[in-house]
Amino acid sequence: MRTRAVLGSIFASVAVLVVGWQAGAAVVVTSTATTSAPQASGVTPAPVVGGTPTPAATPTAVPVPAGPADGTYTGASVATRYGSVQVSIAFAGGAITDVAALKLTDADGRSVQISNRAAPLLHDEVLASQSANVSNVTGATYTTRAYLSSVQSALDQAGF
Amino acid sequence: MPTQITVRPDPRQFPSSSRVNYQRRFVRRSRRADLLVISLWASGAAAAALFLASGGAGQFGSLAETVTSMGIVAGLIGTDFILVMLVLAARIPFIDRTIGHDRAVAVHRALSKPALYLLLGHGALLLIGYGMSSGINPIAQIGPMLALPDMPLAFIAMGLMITVVVTSLVAVRRRFSYEGWHLVHLLSYLSVAFALPHQLSVGGVLAVGTAQRVYWIALYVVAFGCLITFRFVEPIVSSLRHRITVAGTTTIAPGVTSIHLSGHNLRGLGAAGGQFFIWRFWTGTTWWHSHPISLSAVPTSSTARITVRDLGSGSARISAVPVGTRVSIEGPYGLFTDAARTSPKVAIIAAGIGVTPIRALLDHARFAPGEATILLRASTQEETYHWDEIRELAAAKGARCYVMVGRRSRVGPGWISEQDALRGVTLAGTFPDLADSDLYLCGPTAWLDLVEADARATGIPQHQIHAERFDW
Repeated sequence: MRTRAVLGSIFASVAVLVVGWQAGAAVVVTSTATTSAPQASGVTPAPVVGGTPTPAATPTAVPVPAGPADGTYTGASVATRYGSVQVSIAFAGGAITDVAALKLTDADGRSVQISNRAAPLLHDEVLASQSANVSNVTGATYTTRAYLSSVQSALDQAGF
Repeated sequence: MPTQITVRPDPRQFPSSSRVNYQRRFVRRSRRADLLVISLWASGAAAAALFLASGGAGQFGSLAETVTSMGIVAGLIGTDFILVMLVLAARIPFIDRTIGHDRAVAVHRALSKPALYLLLGHGALLLIGYGMSSGINPIAQIGPMLALPDMPLAFIAMGLMITVVVTSLVAVRRRFSYEGWHLVHLLSYLSVAFALPHQLSVGGVLAVGTAQRVYWIALYVVAFGCLITFRFVEPIVSSLRHRITVAGTTTIAPGVTSIHLSGHNLRGLGAAGGQFFIWRFWTGTTWWHSHPISLSAVPTSSTARITVRDLGSGSARISAVPVGTRVSIEGPYGLFTDAARTSPKVAIIAAGIGVTPIRALLDHARFAPGEATILLRASTQEETYHWDEIRELAAAKGARCYVMVGRRSRVGPGWISEQDALRGVTLAGTFPDLADSDLYLCGPTAWLDLVEADARATGIPQHQIHAERFDW
């Protein structure tokens, strides 16, 4: 009787863990595959964080000829397992003048805390480097990757 | 007839229906018990699987991630164990009939420390893991952690859980009265409830819209549902329905009182001989104290009887309750009954006040004449409670009845009286059919441990021994 209980417990536990693991593998695959197509409008900006008020764009005297037109470009919404991330970028005079986070990872309290910490840092770094080529924020890898990927898609739209 | 008693029936010649039934019932019961064990461990695995299913297998990339992931898994399994403990403490009839109240409580107790360690590990690992990922030390991480919604409640829950487990450690528990300890123990409900919000809001595993969240909430509903149903609603309904009151008390020996109870449809309680109830006597001085006491006779439709010995101050007071006192009950509980039988024959050894459940057990025990042997044990002639009734029942049902009075012997197995030990009385000599019998033991723990060790030395399997330890 005892042996049956022990063996039964082991098999049942392993089976349950394997099922969980397989289900988890499926989740990872789908979430990396659903990098959604860029949306230009119709996005409801979530009332988040990180959007430090835009410093007035310093107009450069001579606009760079090949630069993007002034205006706001909305990046793709990038899904992560902690929620999706989407930013918009404001251009003026051929330079990035602001990055606004429309949505940040918000699946749970911890994710909100992490993105609240990461977003201002990423905002400043993107402005400073004028590109999506920015180093990772420690402890906010998912947010960083999704944020920069959304930035890049906005830059691509702008032809920057 | 006498030949049937002396000649041991060969089971192949004697495929008596009772033998087959006891075996089959035992096989069925142990299958249910195994299922309970399997579901206990599988539920722990399921808790870990919840994490894996939310993509957790990929969450072991960096050291910080690994520590955080381990912390989350520890919290899930620890909480699952706590919920299992609540279920075990809920006195669910199915569990009581399968493994008995004693074993359910023993498993509950055995799970308590692992569960607490897992939860402490959960807190520590997450402080370290979060701290590492944001580059600060674990102590400094407490601040940001508390800033998360629902986390202050979770910290309180942890504090309560530590209090509950520490007060239940044997060494600490002895300093408390039962009521004091029990009051502290009730905080565990609060602790489990306080821990829930942060599980649902802080971590991603149980996020809104996931199957994990549904499963987890269902676990909580089942655990608290069982508690509310079987610990609170069912006893209150049963007490109201049966309207039990004290009909009278009789002092049967110095310090030992039989309390006669009357009520409505007491057979409807479904109490089997050998079971106990938890009794509460509603007088001004006794209402706050409840007592687990075995029936000393199987209830008739309108009467029941318990027999108590004055040990604690509580039982001294209940032996003096006035006639007409209202009594509320929880129960019946316990597997010290005929339902636990695995063999065709019966062997019974009871000492002191431990004869009370034996007296009721004899009402229900089924055996053919000559297939039961009873040994009654007392230190002095004054402690032979209900022996006359037991002798009468034994004679009526054809059971042999031996008595043994005197102090414990210093030679031999130690549970036999000095006089009988010197005469060469042994367990095997008194119970020649022990191998084919269920052995029911009831008495004080120290004495009973000796009998049980002696019985096991004869090679009788554990499932044929049914022991009820009386310490109150």
